[in-house]
Amino acid sequence: MSDSKQKVHNPIQINTETCIRCDFCDWICPGDLIYHEDGNKEHLPVVAYPDECWFCGLCQKICPVDAITIIFPEQMINNKTDVTTLLGKVVE
Amino acid sequence: MKDDWKTIDTDLLIIGGGVAGCMAAIPALEAGLDVVICEKGKVLDHCGSVGCGVDQYLTVMDSGPEWDTPEFLLKYVPELTDGIVDMAVTSKLIHQMPRIFRKIESFGVNFKDPRTDDYYRLRSFGLPGTYHVNFDGTDFKKLIGQQVRRAKGAVLMRTMGVQILTEDNRVYGGIAFNFRTGEWYAIRAKAVMLATGDVNRISKNASGVAFDSWHCPYNTGDAQAMGYRAGATLANMESVETTLTPKGFSSQGLNALVSLGAHFLNKDGERFMFKYTEKGENARRAVIADAVINEYLLGNGPIYVDCSVMPKAELDFLEETLQVDRYTMPAFYQQKKHDIRTQPIEVSVSELSIRRSGVYFRGSGLAVDTNGETSIEGLFSAGDCATVSGGVAGAAVLGHMAGEGAVQRIQRTSDKRPEIDSRMAEDIRAGAMAHIGRQEGDSWQQFEEKTRQTVTDYVGFRRTDKGLKMALETLKSLAKKEPELKADDLHGLMRVHESQNIRLNAEIMAQASLSRKETRTGASHWRLDYPDTDNENWQKFILVDRGKNGPELRTLDCSRPLSDGFSRTKSKGAAA
Repeated sequence: MSDSKQKVHNPIQINTETCIRCDFCDWICPGDLIYHEDGNKEHLPVVAYPDECWFCGLCQKICPVDAITIIFPEQMINNKTDVTTLLGKVVE
Repeated sequence: MKDDWKTIDTDLLIIGGGVAGCMAAIPALEAGLDVVICEKGKVLDHCGSVGCGVDQYLTVMDSGPEWDTPEFLLKYVPELTDGIVDMAVTSKLIHQMPRIFRKIESFGVNFKDPRTDDYYRLRSFGLPGTYHVNFDGTDFKKLIGQQVRRAKGAVLMRTMGVQILTEDNRVYGGIAFNFRTGEWYAIRAKAVMLATGDVNRISKNASGVAFDSWHCPYNTGDAQAMGYRAGATLANMESVETTLTPKGFSSQGLNALVSLGAHFLNKDGERFMFKYTEKGENARRAVIADAVINEYLLGNGPIYVDCSVMPKAELDFLEETLQVDRYTMPAFYQQKKHDIRTQPIEVSVSELSIRRSGVYFRGSGLAVDTNGETSIEGLFSAGDCATVSGGVAGAAVLGHMAGEGAVQRIQRTSDKRPEIDSRMAEDIRAGAMAHIGRQEGDSWQQFEEKTRQTVTDYVGFRRTDKGLKMALETLKSLAKKEPELKADDLHGLMRVHESQNIRLNAEIMAQASLSRKETRTGASHWRLDYPDTDNENWQKFILVDRGKNGPELRTLDCSRPLSDGFSRTKSKGAAA
């Protein structure tokens, strides 16, 4: 990619075939990430702020038709970070 | 007030609808008072730190044996907290535990193990008895939220408190906005309760995903910041908390593994925990985290948790309950293609929280008295933003105490409260709304990342005088950029406020850490230049107040309650 800004991973995958366009996922998201107009049966819910997901899974759990799957990004599943980089820089 | 303001007059305004806020609402509603709760989430039944569920609850039950009495647990509190604890508030909290436990049971929460129809009580984190009730708390918050709704507590959802209003060290309301509708609220109240939890998103984690955090990432120290700006005293802000997480996913759950009998191993397969503490894996969270940090620094990483040593029945139970604390935990292991029954789990040190430094009953945040009241009259606090904190049970019990305290305060107070000054309210709103649509300046994400990097490098573990001063310089210069922060929309405006609150908490933490010239409770305050615990000079609280040029610090001997440092209690004493 020429653009240095990577595409944001969306952990909240909504199955467009099975989603019944209810409001539950919008209603329950603790981070205000999922937007769906109350009672609108035309439009799918929109994950407006995917990079602010806590991976709590409440949306998946409450979905009445199991249309939501939480997909973890690669850096969480297959993490390569050296833990010592989290332990501070020594300045004396 | 202009017509486009929503104005509300109430008895008790509660900011934060988690366990502490809801438990405070309940006694106020029982006393017939009007209660308004502002909450950033959309449903009271599932908001706050345990909105997704909880699998343990710390309590004394007074069931007969001596260890199960408040007096027995209290005796161990000074040791558990390394002496930095407000014993007056803790004593009242522990004595109220059995009553509040039964009260929560009366809401329909089933703390019993369905296999035995009895409580399944475990010993965790160095406590001197099996005080942790292990249970299926999937609906815990739902049942508490329902209780508030049934009693007709008014709830403003997707609403963030931005400022509390005080006059002459007495609170009279708050300003809030709904980040879905853009409505602004001017709320006049006889008492205000701040219960927005701990401070997260303040340092980096293994995944580098900012909102992948052990504790709720939407808890951003809003209460501590709002309280501080209004003149409330904070304490214990130098202490940080970390935990051990499955590497890549900063989540709860290792506590359950360890209390069920899993072992920690280093890269050589050595069960090292006994090198650090005779309690082994049963030690306090802070001690366990400390040992793992040390092993990593010794070059003994990666560190693993091995569940394969557990009996089959415990493993079955573990697998059944893995999703209770974090619903997505089984999915994480599945997507990782990792079998926890047979394969050791690689462990990381989590990002930091300002909460209770890994020990029970020593909270970091708004200093409170035995009624949960802060140094500002009529302003209350409980939960992980208050100075006595103890997980979900601490939030429930102190929350309830603060609710009862607020009832007493309201009943004792005459109704001569100031009207909300419309010009001041307009200024607050205009200042906030100016962030939306700005072309120049940093995004809140860029701003927050700078705070996180600074804290990780110089304010987290391994603190030094020089490093802390460097961090303070950076954090103070970041403050100057706050008016220029950009928000794309109302949701972004909410995040801009959170980012500013996180930065302020980081600055207060750095300032307090700089002044505590000793090391205490291992990694929770680890000064490389003062590596020893100095009980002679530092059995003291560090109190933080807002000064003209930033945080001003003073100390108070730990034999005294924090409320001895409040001017309102002093002046009362003088008047009496």
